[in-house]
Amino acid sequence: MASHGIARTNRSRTEEQRQQDLDRIQKYRDLDDQIQSHVKQANYSDPALFQLTTKILRLNPEYYTIWNVRRRCLISGSLSRRSAGLWRSRASPSTSRSVTTKPSCAASSPSPSAATPAAPATSPSPRKDGGSGTTPEQKKEDTADNAEGKAEEDEKADIAADTSVVQAELNFTIPLLIEFPKCYWIWGYRSFLLSLCDAILPAGAARDFWVAELALDSKMLTKDRRNFHAWSYRRFIVSALESTTKTDGSDDVGSTTTPKSMTESEFAYTYSMIKVDLSNFSAWHNRSKLALRLLDERGADDAGRKKFLEEELELVREGLNVGPEDQSLWYYHQFLMDHITAVGAKNAAESDEKGTTKELIAPNLSLADRREFVDREVAEIKDLLEDYADVKLIYEALLEYAMAYRAMGESDGDAANQDEMMAWLAKLSELDPLRRGRWDDLEKSLKV
Amino acid sequence: MAQLQNLPDELQLATEAHVKYIQSLDSRKDEYEYWLTEHLRLNGVYWGLTALHLLKKPEALPRDATIDFVLSCQHENGGFGAAPGHDAHMLYTVSAVQILALIDAFDELEKRGKGKAAVGKFIADLQNRETGTFAGDEWGEEDTRFLYGAFNALSLMGMLDLVDVDKAVDHIKACANFDGGYGLTPGAESHSGQIFTCLAALSIVGRMESVEADKLGKWLSERQLPNGGLNGRPEKQEDVCYSWWVLSGLAMINRTHWIDRNALFGFILRCQDTEKGGISDRPGNMVDVWHTLFGLTGLSLLGYPGLDEIDPVYCLPKSTTQRILGSKD
Repeated sequence: MASHGIARTNRSRTEEQRQQDLDRIQKYRDLDDQIQSHVKQANYSDPALFQLTTKILRLNPEYYTIWNVRRRCLISGSLSRRSAGLWRSRASPSTSRSVTTKPSCAASSPSPSAATPAAPATSPSPRKDGGSGTTPEQKKEDTADNAEGKAEEDEKADIAADTSVVQAELNFTIPLLIEFPKCYWIWGYRSFLLSLCDAILPAGAARDFWVAELALDSKMLTKDRRNFHAWSYRRFIVSALESTTKTDGSDDVGSTTTPKSMTESEFAYTYSMIKVDLSNFSAWHNRSKLALRLLDERGADDAGRKKFLEEELELVREGLNVGPEDQSLWYYHQFLMDHITAVGAKNAAESDEKGTTKELIAPNLSLADRREFVDREVAEIKDLLEDYADVKLIYEALLEYAMAYRAMGESDGDAANQDEMMAWLAKLSELDPLRRGRWDDLEKSLKV
Repeated sequence: MAQLQNLPDELQLATEAHVKYIQSLDSRKDEYEYWLTEHLRLNGVYWGLTALHLLKKPEALPRDATIDFVLSCQHENGGFGAAPGHDAHMLYTVSAVQILALIDAFDELEKRGKGKAAVGKFIADLQNRETGTFAGDEWGEEDTRFLYGAFNALSLMGMLDLVDVDKAVDHIKACANFDGGYGLTPGAESHSGQIFTCLAALSIVGRMESVEADKLGKWLSERQLPNGGLNGRPEKQEDVCYSWWVLSGLAMINRTHWIDRNALFGFILRCQDTEKGGISDRPGNMVDVWHTLFGLTGLSLLGYPGLDEIDPVYCLPKSTTQRILGSKD
């Protein structure tokens, strides 16, 4: 219902095409009807239902309800022992209309792992005697009756089975994700699986999944460097990997869990993305989000922070020298300049007119340092005009920084005089007539 | 506006064709696409119906059948799914409330549905009481779309007191970026769609004080490309739907004059299928009801003649929001 980038065609079909459509509709609705009838009976532990969801999701991964059915199948079937109770309230739709809800661990459940492609029906189910087909109470008795060694073995087998179920689920979504990289529901389903790992697998095993997920995410970002789903997902994975609940992975037993920051490696990742494509604002944005944390974690002193600003300005300027028409570069430049020109930036926490405090990259820069920074940038930007006299973003930046310079106060002189500024504005108005209303407003405010 | 009357035929709004196109949407049951998009059905009714109201043809879809369909999507817990048998989710619950608002049918919710109180509770229960943001459903995916949806629907029903507004506002502030824009979650890149949701949510509760209007206005105005169309983020392609996301944002900070109105008119109108009706993402592409609505809302916000006025905060006709909320002017 929302088509993007599909060429308009003659919307009339031949009789043959119409018939083909009708056949496809028949098959699709058949699948849907079968699923609905299982759902009405809350038959989530029936492997047949799970297989039906596989079929229909391959035809239509946007059908969000089916992803939910699949989640319920997992919780009620393949994974029910270790996940029992975790999502018990969701094992059937909380929204169900007059459905008789069965307990999630239905005793009649057949070999649950047959429900997933990972565990072929021919392989013996590792949980035949106390897996998901058993209620927690029964399981308790079983364990008490068995030797302790047996329980431990069962535990291992359960973990192995759960691991393979999760792996199979992740594998199932990969081709779908590649075909539909902007489908919210697929990303959401994967994050559900990852959270499930945390809940049911030992920390080391769960961590392996998160690490692999980061690699997959990088792959998705090489296919589409701006995909905001993939960027958001990346931040989600990184923060999970950094969280205290995750051990190093190399040591499962009794290791102390120091959270390990990934700021350096993620910062380096943004650089690798920018190197490939200077216009990748998503990467520049992430860099802006990591900068302050990076400096804190490096324990950077005032000199180190000043040097950081110099290096970042140098990096973005290199880009501007070849691509001054690129908004991405100017936005990052503006980000850096904001940290230099911020009003009253003498203390660690600067309070702006809105009363919010903003942390600065180099909070202890002297006014003279800050002026020097702006002077140098303005001079460099003016140099750009020699080669690119008709690039409006250059004039925009010059005006912006000249005004910010003024606002820093107590000046012997300005980065630019009023006449120069009015000339830039006139040029902007000429080069960029689409935004003439904005330039008119700016002119009014400059004259005040 | 006189000059618009002199535009060539393909740049006139093909009102009749669009009305027919929207009316035809539910009679396409022999098309595979109709079934593949069932998960958007209730949204689709909202998109189509709002478009018809803007085109001043509010009666073009039957009111009773619309109410019947909306109520058939409701669950015991008050939430709505995309169609009967589809799970309840914030996105559809908001569409349901908007449709009922549009056709003045909240009373039907009491008479034949599960009642307003149940809808309000469904939405309020999705708030994350720690961070203030909202999930879409019981599976917990969170983003600012759902927060906005909650504020939109609850305020139309007069039930905002069910949620922690201050926490939600703090969450929106945490989604702000250095460029003045907002992302899907804290840390996420500014995106026009999310800017709309965040600004509109702040507008609903009268908490615009933290918005950096000049900075954001600059960023939004830079979305207009030489062909007149708007993109959603820097260095991306134009798309008709951003006519709404970007422009509504500019409207909420009183800066629609920072882009070129006629250039955008031209772009949207070139995306029409003047013969069979509907508007597409870019000229020459397949039309759909989503782009049809957001093309029309864009035209309406800029005062295209003959269209009903759209409310930039609620994406409903102003006549509707004024009837329910009273005049804000």
